[in-house]
Amino acid sequence: MNERTATGPQGPVHEPGLALHVEDLTVSYQGRPALWDIDLDVPPGVMAAIVGPNGAGKSTLIKSVLELVPRTAGHVYLFGQPYRTVRRRVAYVPQRSAVDWDFPTTALDVVMMGRYGHLGWLRRPGAGERRRAMAALEEVGIAELAGRQISQLSGGQQQRVFVARALVQEADLYFLDEPMAGVDATTERAIVRLLEDLRARGKTLVVVHHDLQTVRRYFDWIVILNVRVIAQGPVERAYTPENLRRAYGGQISLIEGFGARATDGVSGE
Amino acid sequence: MTAWDLLSDYTLHTVAMGAAILGVISGVLGSFAVLRQQSLMGDALSHAALPGVCLGFLVAGTRDLGWILGGALFTGGLAALTVLALTRLSRLKTDAAIGIALSVFFAVGVVLLTVIQRMGGASQAGLETFLFGQAAAILRSDLVLMGGVTGVALTVVLALWKEFKLVTFDPEFARTLGLPVTLLEVALTVMVALAVVVGLQMVGVVLMAAMVIAPAAAARQWVSRLEHMVVLAALIGMASGIVGAVISALGAGLATGPLIVLAASAAVLVSILFAPGRGVVWEAAGRVRERRRLRGRQVLATMLSLAREHGDPDYPAEQGMLDAYHRLGTHGVLERLEARGQVRRARHMPGEGRHWVLTPEGRREAERTLAEIGPGGR
Amino acid sequence: MALIRLIGTLAAGAALAFALPAGAAEKPRVLATVGMLADVAANVGGDCVAVTAMMGPGTDPHLYQASAGDVRTLFAADAILYVGHNLEGQLGEVFASVAERKPTRAVAEAAIPTGELILPESADYADPHVWMDARLWARTAEVVAGELAALVPGCADAIRARADAYAAELEALDDWVRASVASIPDRQRVLVTAHDAFAYYGRAYGIEVAGIQGISTESEAGIADIRATVDLVVAREVPAVFIESTISPRTVNAVIEAANQRGHEVALGPELYSDAMGEAGTAAGTYIGMIHANTMAIVSALGGRPLPLPGELVAWAERWQVPTGG
Repeated sequence: MNERTATGPQGPVHEPGLALHVEDLTVSYQGRPALWDIDLDVPPGVMAAIVGPNGAGKSTLIKSVLELVPRTAGHVYLFGQPYRTVRRRVAYVPQRSAVDWDFPTTALDVVMMGRYGHLGWLRRPGAGERRRAMAALEEVGIAELAGRQISQLSGGQQQRVFVARALVQEADLYFLDEPMAGVDATTERAIVRLLEDLRARGKTLVVVHHDLQTVRRYFDWIVILNVRVIAQGPVERAYTPENLRRAYGGQISLIEGFGARATDGVSGE
Repeated sequence: MTAWDLLSDYTLHTVAMGAAILGVISGVLGSFAVLRQQSLMGDALSHAALPGVCLGFLVAGTRDLGWILGGALFTGGLAALTVLALTRLSRLKTDAAIGIALSVFFAVGVVLLTVIQRMGGASQAGLETFLFGQAAAILRSDLVLMGGVTGVALTVVLALWKEFKLVTFDPEFARTLGLPVTLLEVALTVMVALAVVVGLQMVGVVLMAAMVIAPAAAARQWVSRLEHMVVLAALIGMASGIVGAVISALGAGLATGPLIVLAASAAVLVSILFAPGRGVVWEAAGRVRERRRLRGRQVLATMLSLAREHGDPDYPAEQGMLDAYHRLGTHGVLERLEARGQVRRARHMPGEGRHWVLTPEGRREAERTLAEIGPGGR
Repeated sequence: MALIRLIGTLAAGAALAFALPAGAAEKPRVLATVGMLADVAANVGGDCVAVTAMMGPGTDPHLYQASAGDVRTLFAADAILYVGHNLEGQLGEVFASVAERKPTRAVAEAAIPTGELILPESADYADPHVWMDARLWARTAEVVAGELAALVPGCADAIRARADAYAAELEALDDWVRASVASIPDRQRVLVTAHDAFAYYGRAYGIEVAGIQGISTESEAGIADIRATVDLVVAREVPAVFIESTISPRTVNAVIEAANQRGHEVALGPELYSDAMGEAGTAAGTYIGMIHANTMAIVSALGGRPLPLPGELVAWAERWQVPTGG
């Protein structure tokens, strides 16, 4: 079916040159399709944005890649392998609303949880894990909040804690779900700088992004999604008004030079 | 009967130890249940133990504790599975599913109780003591069983501490790390069921839910680390058990199991009201403090403005006028300010009400306030 | 022709089939709540009535709740006898509604005036365990006889004769119990049981009684209750404590363990019948057998010597193959 299939040490390898290769992915809940027949390729080393209107399936896409949501059909390969084989190379930053921030724990503790996968069963996090976690907190700029209860953090600080948690996983591919939604401008800048840093180190980033205004500024690869893939590719080529209009229906009012601005309440401003 | 007689009594020791063991396992596992927002699951598991008790008796033919407790664990597990199935396969949310499982299983249990009652046969005696427990009748041999189960549960929690912590906090992220989240959640539920089994003889199926929830809920108010919460919950559970046992030993006819639950509930009430930082009373007191400080600053600022208007730094402000400016009685405020050394009484026209003057300290505070609020109309 | 004869035979057979059950239903059905009362009714009514007990052996009458089936049985009976004085605590409303349709009698309430009841300090109602005193219980025979005679007037004489005979048996039993209990050494003459069912026994036969749990089995024994019992057992050096057939043995076991720990060896005596008799078809399944078994157990375990059975009870003993000890 696909000529670029080879056989590697752990079985058939599909598209090893791509960070993410999705074939025919379909996800449906109770008969209604959330994602339909998705074919997606993301090359390594890019900072990719996934955009689309509400209900387009952006979060579902990430979750189905990470096997958090069952796939009705289709195949997903990361670096040519099924997800389970390369789990260690993938990090996930969920939406802030995914957890109850009233949980009794500190920022440092949450970041250390990112190392649990490396620790394995029965081993306790020790000085090494602490050090890595502190370093990650420094990288996101909130080292001084290490001992703070997470319920006492602002939205932006909480987001940074989540990003730091992903950093300690030392992954090659990062999935972030709306990391800049509802954060202050300083945090947004800090996160973008961090992501660019990661990209410079050769990592791949896939980000569900909420703000159409900033797509051109931050990202070099785009996936426009509305249950199906409307368009994908380098931002200059694929991020066009026509593609956006196809995805958002008639809800776009064009602002020349700035790309487009959705009027269905989706983009932040 | 002296206090020493009471405190060295064998029965009291036995019951208090049993209550303490129960408190520890309830506190530790209850912490996870409460944080996972599955407190009601503890209630469902304990109510669902009743049919298991009856089935165990029916199978064994006698009141064999092993069969009875095994039956309780079995039906508890069934109830948990039922809740899981109901939430996965239908549109019901967790709370409705738990309510249904709880009621159905408990009703089956009551029916089985009456069936057994009708069967006659002398050895069915007293199965309904499992409804509210019979804490005073705990034997040393029971303690061995309770202690063993608790030891196993604590060992598991200790060994899988970080996994349980992560699964409780962020199960999706845990899954991406490759943790078997479902298995871990099942393990936690099974251990709550074990706690229920431990508590069956002491507080009974109806009240066991309180033991699972109360110590953890109380502990949550005081600490902000999971490690501390679990330890504190265990301590509160243990203390409630011992206090309940001691109080019930004081008077004839005081049922021990319910008193233990009352002690734990009292701990929750006290914690909710008085815990620093979160307690209701604490926050209310904080608000009162804030409001008083604010009024004090307002009055000082007014006095300073008046003094500036009249060009006299020692301008004696008349109390009635201050009342009028602030539309409330300033007497209490002024007395507090006086106690803090920020105003003093002026000997000025005593026949026309009290007069007050700013002290240097008060003037500084007032200047600070005026600087903060910036220029504006007055 | 043959067809008509066949139909005729079938019709006659059907008519006969309908007639037979009607004939078999001649004996009035008397429903008693507890076995002790049913036994009295059976002894007094003899062949004239069919007696059944609603609660079987091992059933606790304080807690018993009527099911739909029970209510139907109650309404199907021709007469209902219950003890009253709050023994069948959960059935009050049911009796009230049945009483409107069928002859219903609170036998102990009719036979024993409230003045003779024991009023425990802690409860607000009288102790209902009146059958523990055989002479007191003997009075119920007369009340039952009255009910049954009204139900089956044809049997009235036989019924009254049987009632007198039965009352005589019970009075002989009463004397025997008193004499046997008297053989227990004074110091140890203490009856410790799980709940306060034996107050009448104690009053009638001169033995001190202590129930761990109080009058009703609904309450839960507390630590203080257990401690008080242990104190008593240790102080009086009581050789044995007793479990009952209808109560959980755990509280008694707790007392034993605590007393042993204090250095006093106390044994677990044989099971006593308090709220219900033994299995039907055994000696203890009769009222006399219940009191007899209890007394034998109590007297032997506490270090006394039961007397041989009196003459009036020899017939009973032979019927149930109970050694008379004579």
